[in-house]
Amino acid sequence: MRRMIIVLTSVMVLSGLVLALADTVFQPQIQANKHRALQTSLAAIFPKATKPQFKQLPIKKMTIYRGTDASGTLLGYAVGIVTNGYGGPISLLIGLSADLKKIVGMEVVEDSETPGMGARIADDWFRNQFDGLNPLQTITYVKNEKPDSAKNQIEAISGATISTKAVLSGLNSSIGEAVSLIKASSGQQESNK
Amino acid sequence: MTDITIEAPTKQRSILFEFAKGFVKENPTFVQVLGMCPTLAVTTTVVNGMGMGLATLFVLALSGLVASAVKRIVPGEVRIPVYTVIIATFVTLADLFMRAYVPPLSKALGPYVPLIVVNCIIMGRIEAFASKNPVVPSLVDAVGMGLGFTVSLMVLGALRELLGHGTLFGVDILGPGFRPMLVMVLPPGAFLSLGILMAAFNAVKDRNKLVLVGG
Repeated sequence: MRRMIIVLTSVMVLSGLVLALADTVFQPQIQANKHRALQTSLAAIFPKATKPQFKQLPIKKMTIYRGTDASGTLLGYAVGIVTNGYGGPISLLIGLSADLKKIVGMEVVEDSETPGMGARIADDWFRNQFDGLNPLQTITYVKNEKPDSAKNQIEAISGATISTKAVLSGLNSSIGEAVSLIKASSGQQESNK
Repeated sequence: MTDITIEAPTKQRSILFEFAKGFVKENPTFVQVLGMCPTLAVTTTVVNGMGMGLATLFVLALSGLVASAVKRIVPGEVRIPVYTVIIATFVTLADLFMRAYVPPLSKALGPYVPLIVVNCIIMGRIEAFASKNPVVPSLVDAVGMGLGFTVSLMVLGALRELLGHGTLFGVDILGPGFRPMLVMVLPPGAFLSLGILMAAFNAVKDRNKLVLVGG
């Protein structure tokens, strides 16, 4: 009986020590990978900018990054949105122009949508449809007809309406709020000066 | 409390046999039909199959080695929890390593890397082999089984990637004229491919046996 306890306890302690050591060795690299993946997605929203820099705004409710180029000029903002897709959560980054009047880009950071079907939300033709749309007006989708970007429409992915809807519902429910949060935060910064 | 006696070592067989049996005779996928969860879930491409196979091989080899080394110290009553902790430790090591150095593969395999803990091939080899045999044969047995598993997953991944994407290792093989059979990379394709390969594997295996008996 006593031997059982001793053996089991020592195995657990030993395992804990090994894992704690391994974690300290690998964790910095894992964090660096995460950071790099995020920076790549952020930079992809503003492809023309040279050496874009991103700073997270001090807002608790949402993850919003403020992007500036090498000379410090404001490029725009990137809003992190998580929505529920067909195969699990979809994590998106939505780019907003500096004056907050236009959507300038959409990046899929993470998704578990069906390959060849819903996963096409990451395809260029689908993502590019969002460029120039109005973030303050509801975005809708059309099927089998040409979308009218003046009416804030995009074309749904055929065979993947659920994924299309998921992206739109995430966008429509959060982007308006993001715009007001950015305005409030930059207003604060102005008044602090 | 009754003592569980450790069974006498199984009949001594050559090291080469212990290594080779994992490939055909006792192939974990096509003969033992073990570890079906990762087999079906991650074999959408050759690379994913290989990654899963190698991660399993690593855990299988090291936990087999440790389990065999500690078999005289561990009382029979607590051997299962001890083995589970040993396996979980190596799985976590493999998971951390993959997240640090091969993030795309780690992302593609998702939760199936941590799930190696409950892969029945590993517990199966420890219970059936490592806990009854010396260290060297246990390691050889585990490496053979792990490689057999890796090759099986790669064959399955190759069939699905070729038909589902028209590529192998991400390189276009079938050309632009080929229309990908999407179903092959979806869950139904996993069952179809596994069934076809298992039938083919057993047909070849049985034919060889008949020849041996007849000859």
